[in-house]
Amino acid sequence: MQPEKFYYDNKIVRNFGIATVVWGIIGMTVGLLVAIQLYHPAANMGNQYTTFGRIRPLHTNAVIFAFVGNAIFMGVYYSLQRLLKARMFSDVLSKVHFWGWQLIILAAVLTLPLGITTSHEYAELEWPIDIAITLIWVVFGVNMFGTIIKRRERHLYVAIWFYIATFVTIAVLHIVNSFELPISAFKSYYLYAGVQDALVQWWYGHNAVAFFLTTPYLGMMYYFLPKMANRPIYSYKLSILHFWALIFIYIWAGPHHLLYTSLPGWAQSLGVAFSIMLIAPSWGGMINGLLTLRGAWDKVRDDVVLKFMVVGLTAYGMATFEGPMLSLKQVNAIGHFTDWIVAHVHVGALGWNGFLTFAILYWLIPRIYRTELFSKKLAAFHFWIGTLGILFYAVPMYWAGFTQGLMLKEFTAEGMLKYPNFLETTLRIIPMHVMRSVGGALYLAGVIIMAYNLVRTAAQGKLVANEGAEAMPLASLHVDQHQEKWHRRLERRPVKLMVFSLIVILIGSVIELIPTFTISSNVPTIASVKPYSPLELQGRDIYIREGCVNCHSQTVRPFRSETERYGDYSKAGEFVYDHPFLWGSKRTGPDLAREGGKYGDAWHFNHLMDPRLMSPGSIMPAYDWLITQQLDTTNTIAKINAMRKLGVPYKAGYEKIANRELDAQAQAIALNLLKDKIKVKSDKEIIALIAYLQRMGIDIKASKTANNN
Amino acid sequence: MFKQFTENIKGNEVYLISSLGLFLVFFIVVTILLIRVRRNHVNYMSNLPLNDGAAEMERIGL
Repeated sequence: MQPEKFYYDNKIVRNFGIATVVWGIIGMTVGLLVAIQLYHPAANMGNQYTTFGRIRPLHTNAVIFAFVGNAIFMGVYYSLQRLLKARMFSDVLSKVHFWGWQLIILAAVLTLPLGITTSHEYAELEWPIDIAITLIWVVFGVNMFGTIIKRRERHLYVAIWFYIATFVTIAVLHIVNSFELPISAFKSYYLYAGVQDALVQWWYGHNAVAFFLTTPYLGMMYYFLPKMANRPIYSYKLSILHFWALIFIYIWAGPHHLLYTSLPGWAQSLGVAFSIMLIAPSWGGMINGLLTLRGAWDKVRDDVVLKFMVVGLTAYGMATFEGPMLSLKQVNAIGHFTDWIVAHVHVGALGWNGFLTFAILYWLIPRIYRTELFSKKLAAFHFWIGTLGILFYAVPMYWAGFTQGLMLKEFTAEGMLKYPNFLETTLRIIPMHVMRSVGGALYLAGVIIMAYNLVRTAAQGKLVANEGAEAMPLASLHVDQHQEKWHRRLERRPVKLMVFSLIVILIGSVIELIPTFTISSNVPTIASVKPYSPLELQGRDIYIREGCVNCHSQTVRPFRSETERYGDYSKAGEFVYDHPFLWGSKRTGPDLAREGGKYGDAWHFNHLMDPRLMSPGSIMPAYDWLITQQLDTTNTIAKINAMRKLGVPYKAGYEKIANRELDAQAQAIALNLLKDKIKVKSDKEIIALIAYLQRMGIDIKASKTANNN
Repeated sequence: MFKQFTENIKGNEVYLISSLGLFLVFFIVVTILLIRVRRNHVNYMSNLPLNDGAAEMERIGL
């Protein structure tokens, strides 16, 4: 048999590499801007398109799906071809994948500042973009499996298993978390409501971390680290155990994002138990990576690529130890909703994803351009400024998290809240936020230096767009299948491997999700909880559009420090009409679940017009455009109909009188404002938002009053 | 420290115990299968990234 000559497609790898760097710089710049907004409200720039609520999702989407996403495809397209000794299945599909993904990112860049959002964290993009993501993901899958099918290497290296698990799990997560009922081209409501919506979202959210930020990067680590160190992985057996244990356990851990909420206790306990178990496979992977460098530590001193890998792996180890610790209820009680979580996330994102990406870029670009890196000194400078950046980012955020978390829980000797005004805790941590933005700026500076270094590297070399290679074609197999080991057979069967991975991730998903959806005792109903009025519903959609959920939670945990501060703790039955749920994950400002009736309409009007009028020192942006913008009521009928379809008990024909009721309620609020000498027309957006804010928690308060009587 | 977990899951132990049991069985099965994998196959697999065809071409100057 003659060896076959073929060519690896390096151009697609280069293109994804360029996209990684460009989107990385854009995403991190937006990140720096939102960091500055948290201590300098003028950085919101006084217009609705650049407020924190709208562009914070732009930052998260840009760094997760644009920076990390493109880096994944760069790494996968490079390593997959070489591990399978075959060119990518189809150049056309590669191009469709590349340009399709960039268009999706562009759609995010346009829609998120416009306030077009579903409000599900890391899944904010509206339904037409969700469909586009699904199609492009399928293109990626077909291209990957096509390559696997035409491979010249019979056995699939463990990196490819991680890629397959990534593909199949992200597909499942994205589809299940995108069940939306469209009411217009850019607006939809989730099929799930309240607790169920929260569970689906955090099953998705946590596993987006697992299967987008972790498994593809582990796959890349298993390929690139041995290449960089020029030695095989420390233990191949450990990598297999790592793979199966990780994908089995990870999928269960989502509920740790919902501890102390009204999610059923058994689901919370399952989430905690599996989160703690997750330390083992995560550290198995980290140790396997670090021990690959045994006997080669002298290389780490000289080789900047290995330096990035070592710090990246260490950051992975720290983040995957901290994650399970944060899922312990006692720790979570302090850390959740604070900057501690932001610090935790960024140790993973900046250290693990960022540094691994930089290592791969520094290693890969000179190779596909057949040249040396332009400047090793600049790369070393990038390493140090990047590491410093992470420290300057993480340490102040931990400090801020502990400080605020503890302040919010502190009581005086008399048993009163020591800091009853939430703003006091916000102002205390502003110096830490300033330091954090310095850390972010250092990190971003490093990335810009890297971009310059890589451009100069490319300029001094020439891209080998089609890299020649040679390998024997696959011969037909003459082995007794029964004699062969089970796992060795699986390694040769990509489709079976995918199905088996799918089954493994579905076990946890089914056990956690199905009972919450089917057993009614998991979500006890509350008689006094009624559907939103049409005006409140419209106000709620403005709340979603403005991204209020990015800073304000809507769930009171059963702690005395919270019930004293906010009111009665939240129950599952309160949220049955909430499509989507708006519990939030961070309290930059106070919780709003019991906001209704706390202040007058005039207070809310003035506060939205300029928060510093009512709360001196507040860091909330002004929302003065709500006073001038007219509320769009042309979609009220569609909204009521959609909600009814989703199970909200609006009476038949209610949609016909909905706008009449909306007007009446709006006029009552406008009249109320007039009493406080505030002249505003009843058809303005601010009226709807005030109606919604004044509704929050009212049903529960009403039920308590009724019980007391 | 773990009291609240055991208290919280009363009546729902079946979820936790069956889930942990399921994982334990899965983990043990994978471990046993791994122990039985032959050493030369492991060596072959772990060397896959280092032998990608292109390196061969480079070595012989193509």
